[in-house]
Amino acid sequence: MKKLISGWSLIKSYTLLVYIWMFAPIVAVVLLSFNPQQFGSFPMKGFSFRWYGELLHNPSILGAFKNSLILGSLTAILATSIAVPAALAFVRYEFRGKDFLNTLLIAPIMIPEVVLGVALLLFLRWLQQPKSFMLLLLGHIVLTLPYVMLVVQARMVGIKKEYEEAALSLGASPFQTFRSVTFPLLSPAIFAGMLFSFTISFDDVTATLFWATASQQTVPVKIFGMLRNSISPEINALGTIMIILTISLPLTAGYFIRKFARES
Amino acid sequence: MKQKTLRPWLLLSPSLTAVLLILVVPVCFVVVYSFWLRSPIGQDIPAFQFGNYGKFFADFFYPSLLIRTIRVALETVLLCLVMGYIPAYFFYKTESRFKPILMILVMLPFWISFIIRTLSWINILGDSGLINHVLLSIGLIDSPLSMLYNEGAVLMGLLQYLLPFMILNIYVSLDGIDKSLIEAAKNLGCTEWQAFKEITLPLSLPGVSAGCLLVFVLTCGTYLPPMILGGPGNDMIANLVFKRIITTLDWPFGCAISTILLALVGLIVFTYNKYMGINQVFKSLGG
Amino acid sequence: MKDKLDKKLDQMYESYKAGQLSRRDFVKYVGIAGAAAGIMGGPFGMAGNAFAKNSITVHSWGGSTSKALKQFAFDPFTKATGINVVDATFTGMDAFLTQVKASFPPGGEFNIAHLSAVYDYLRYKDLGYNSVLDESKIPNLKNVMPVMINTLRNITDGNLSAVPYDVGQTGIAYNLDNISKEKAEKLGASLLWDKDLNGRLGTWGGDYRTNMWYAALHTGQSPNNITRINDVWDALKEQRGLMKKYWASGSELMSLLANGEIDATVAWSGRVAALQKQGHNIGYLAPNNTYSWMEYMYVIKGSDMNVAQKLLNFMLEPDAAIAVSKGQNYPPSLDPTKIAMPDEIKKLPAYDPTGTLKGYLFADPAYWNSKQLEWGEKWDRIMAGS
Repeated sequence: MKKLISGWSLIKSYTLLVYIWMFAPIVAVVLLSFNPQQFGSFPMKGFSFRWYGELLHNPSILGAFKNSLILGSLTAILATSIAVPAALAFVRYEFRGKDFLNTLLIAPIMIPEVVLGVALLLFLRWLQQPKSFMLLLLGHIVLTLPYVMLVVQARMVGIKKEYEEAALSLGASPFQTFRSVTFPLLSPAIFAGMLFSFTISFDDVTATLFWATASQQTVPVKIFGMLRNSISPEINALGTIMIILTISLPLTAGYFIRKFARES
Repeated sequence: MKQKTLRPWLLLSPSLTAVLLILVVPVCFVVVYSFWLRSPIGQDIPAFQFGNYGKFFADFFYPSLLIRTIRVALETVLLCLVMGYIPAYFFYKTESRFKPILMILVMLPFWISFIIRTLSWINILGDSGLINHVLLSIGLIDSPLSMLYNEGAVLMGLLQYLLPFMILNIYVSLDGIDKSLIEAAKNLGCTEWQAFKEITLPLSLPGVSAGCLLVFVLTCGTYLPPMILGGPGNDMIANLVFKRIITTLDWPFGCAISTILLALVGLIVFTYNKYMGINQVFKSLGG
Repeated sequence: MKDKLDKKLDQMYESYKAGQLSRRDFVKYVGIAGAAAGIMGGPFGMAGNAFAKNSITVHSWGGSTSKALKQFAFDPFTKATGINVVDATFTGMDAFLTQVKASFPPGGEFNIAHLSAVYDYLRYKDLGYNSVLDESKIPNLKNVMPVMINTLRNITDGNLSAVPYDVGQTGIAYNLDNISKEKAEKLGASLLWDKDLNGRLGTWGGDYRTNMWYAALHTGQSPNNITRINDVWDALKEQRGLMKKYWASGSELMSLLANGEIDATVAWSGRVAALQKQGHNIGYLAPNNTYSWMEYMYVIKGSDMNVAQKLLNFMLEPDAAIAVSKGQNYPPSLDPTKIAMPDEIKKLPAYDPTGTLKGYLFADPAYWNSKQLEWGEKWDRIMAGS
């Protein structure tokens, strides 16, 4: 028994080390967002909220941030809602050309984004159509589709077919079966898929660079634009705010849920 | 019966339509373009010739970039696996109240733009970066260690970008494992390690293989880590595509390189699928 | 319903083939038909109104540049005329040209761009994107240094497609803590080949011109007429062994210098000025025949010329031009003999109080563009070590 515990604590410390490693650059960004100087290096020469103030008065970055949020959310919802049925088809059905189609649907990650970016524009130019938000959204859906597919598929394999068959034999329709048996079991993967899809869309630079019109530029595109002069620490401030929001929202939500549960 | 054979197609149709429209057709344009000619002024000339491909294989320069790309991608996959499996297993096993938070933390790096994340390694690994600063001040070293602008730094950047993909993929398939199987095995006298080896590990393989594939192909297509953290001679094939298409505006040649890269990655994925691929794993589990 | 739609589509296709319908209209009809059938209306149905008429798009360098433009030119312009200015940023000249080349319709999406270097002016002309400005509609042009205007005029047969906006140089930046001013000035361009700086050098990996330019100076040749090209390649190969980093962006350039990763590199004058302003001990060296360039606001063919000219005039207002200049640390194109410059501008590298730019060597556009493909590739190979 004693040996077992030490095994677990090894796993724990290993995980902790991986976390520290993974967060080192993030911590650097957060710290530098409080650096009063424009270029920071360590050790820092002071502490200030200067960049947060400037961020609030920068309509260009805030506008881009709004674009990123809208685009990311729509992408996550739409990509997941078309990826789940596709994953279902691959895992639950046998049909001709399955391997090929499965590979085809994960193709978007195999193609360098520069190529994809230009390719879509070549096609659009041939169609003689201007760019639009629809195009950007469709592009992002296709870009993030494989991630959702892979996550959902991997999970679906683990869900036993027998559960669904049992529901079906009890007279449920395929849709009812999906809704009341498959979907709940699948929901962690669906959530993970949406999270994936949102973040990839939120963080995508190369393809977005080509597809976004002038008025739909996202945060990463703006950052790329700053590379020539220097990236303003306002971007570090924005990243820090995002991180604080992502950590604190689930925490507060959890707190309120527990509180209401206790009261009722 | 007919309805049954139609159903998978119905389920697939939205994704297939999107991929065909946004990806397959445009990529055909890339392939067509790779046979075109580039004029010195800039307007490309439609043609059908293999000059762009000839140029790629004319000497060892371009193929060697391709080989380097594959090597770096394999290294990245291996490192991601080594670094990612145990944390994924931890998430699966832990009963901590903070599990959802810990999970979200994995995705947190993505909130900070990839460019910024990559750039910020300079603040850590650089000559006046955090590590050197600490080592110098405790007197472990006399002069800064040179850690940036080599393949190691590129791998750091790649790992930082790709590790979350590996962890989440493995976790999702671990989480799908029926825990009663493990209980049963333990009741039959298996040790924790035996239960892991005989049940958990094999059942997590779909996630592992999905993660590996994902990391491999993503590495083949990224150009930012080599561009920012690499030194002279760490460029990968995607950097070349980027340069040809964007810097020199040589679209036909850029398209030819892309086609070659596409064919190569396609071949690898195909072989992978055939011998140890995801579908193979699906079948063994589904039966 | 379905049959009727098919029939209509067939008619469309016939007239498209007969040439009565442009491909654009054809696609639009197919799109509308698709929408009616509920298949793929989205992407094409909405495309039509993507460009509101009452707006103009300006692409410029991001950060402080676009911020100053917005405050001093775009917002006042919108207030005065009611025309909306979409201020967008691009990531580099090459990337932007790639986007323009792939866009449709010409001038629909891209209107005005803040481009650098005269060879680009020629590239846009060669690709057929050049417009013709009505100079009488831009009275503020009279304040611009004539030498800059004439450089552009010579390329587009006496017309202008752009107004000059600022001047810059690519000189050499060096760390004054480790390299003395005397040494730097004695060595000039050859500082970038100094064996003492092994592993402490940097250069811009993204541009073969800059590197060939300095290799030409190092080997004692005229950059606009390189006669011993193999000497240039040999010098660049030799330099590769000394190099720590081929940087790709100004942001990297600044962090390399500010963090003491490298001691010397080719550098954009504005970036060095920014570092100096922040108190970093960085010297700027402009050896004889330093690589100079100019930036201009280019109007892409197909844009609404009236609106563009009005806006260009706003952008050339001394207040706006000087503010942008402060933001990006490049002196404005305005003639200092006609417009009084604040001290901050007078201190900028590449500032010329005479307004004649005598002794500034610009890249000969025709010479450099003609070798673009060959030299660009050769440079890639050298960087990669072959």
